[in-house]
Amino acid sequence: MTEIDATITGNAHILRRQRDTRRHSLEQFEGDGGARVITLEGDEMVIGRAPDAHVRLTSKRASRQHAFLRPHGTDCMIFDNDSHNGVFLNGVKVYSAVLRDGDVIQVADSIFVYSGD
Amino acid sequence: MAAFVKFWGTRGSIPTPASWTRVYGGNTPCVEVRFEDTIFVCDAGSGIRELGKDLLTRQPPPKDLHLLLTHAHWDHIQGFPFFAPLYLPGMKIRVYGKQAQDDSPYRLLSGQMSSSYFPVSFRDLGDSVVADYLPEGKKDINGVLVSSFALNHPGGCIGYSFSKEGRKIVYMTDNELEIQPGDTFPDLDDAGPLRNVPEDLVAMARDADLLIADAQYDEKTYEARLKWGHSCCFSATDLAIQAKVKNLALFHHDPEDTDRGIDEKVMACRRRATRHGAKLAICAAREGVEMKF
Repeated sequence: MTEIDATITGNAHILRRQRDTRRHSLEQFEGDGGARVITLEGDEMVIGRAPDAHVRLTSKRASRQHAFLRPHGTDCMIFDNDSHNGVFLNGVKVYSAVLRDGDVIQVADSIFVYSGD
Repeated sequence: MAAFVKFWGTRGSIPTPASWTRVYGGNTPCVEVRFEDTIFVCDAGSGIRELGKDLLTRQPPPKDLHLLLTHAHWDHIQGFPFFAPLYLPGMKIRVYGKQAQDDSPYRLLSGQMSSSYFPVSFRDLGDSVVADYLPEGKKDINGVLVSSFALNHPGGCIGYSFSKEGRKIVYMTDNELEIQPGDTFPDLDDAGPLRNVPEDLVAMARDADLLIADAQYDEKTYEARLKWGHSCCFSATDLAIQAKVKNLALFHHDPEDTDRGIDEKVMACRRRATRHGAKLAICAAREGVEMKF
């Protein structure tokens, strides 16, 4: 018997393999910055007009640090940084939200689709 | 001064964890309404558990909470024993009765923690939970006017309005807006006029920044659920339109409703509001979403 023999009932060495992290990304399909896919990583990513923003926008409707993306367990959350024009999730103005696969996020003139596998 | 609303549980009747409830959530009702440092907790469904965990991470952790229950049905109280702040020394959770000397919500929660139902005794919580009241149905709590009003639900139910400095949030769940003579129902093609809705509820919701309203059913489902104590989403929309509220959150999602089904209800209600020329933003309440007004 090998340790990975999955045919043995109750084999103590066989457990489901759960990843501790999930991949999160934003696919932009409208607005400045053009079509692009941004992989979300680290403790915090900034969406905004600031030169050092991770997801940089040039629209005047975007605040410098418009919104933050942060991990929340294995999920990802978006936070409006009290921006002037707000953050919209599926057409609804939100202050913060846990993101779900397929969510449409609008920041200023830019529209993103969130993917979380 | 802004008002914040965060949804911790949006599902009606019974917790519904499933792949198809992942977006809007499967926890039963719990909504946080916050004006500066004053935190109101509306209902203690299973969503209150996550709220409790979150409160403990805030700096500084709040020491004073105001719990308002709409009624005693299971889905609105079942999370209470799992609310982590209950077990924190120095915590004060005020549970409000709808009028002076009404400590029925307090007794209800303590009864739920008798040994037949839960291993930790209510007595072990010390004085962290205290009974409080809304004299004559309303009270100024740290500058927030909290008003209660009766809803149409088997066994009775209470709605709440929170107002401060021009901000107004209304929590109106477990309420059946019954079809009245002259109403078009079922309005499957969405061609009928606005329905007749109770004037007292229109008055309570008038000009609210956010109305959180029972909208458990679509037209077709509601036909088979008359008198069950919940509303169809078109009636909730019509109430919101007539009360001229700015935002409507469809709430108390049916346990059978999929995320896609809820999306479809939202779209149908938006079309209806547009058809009636209303400036009304409509969404479905979704776990983990916070809104600012």
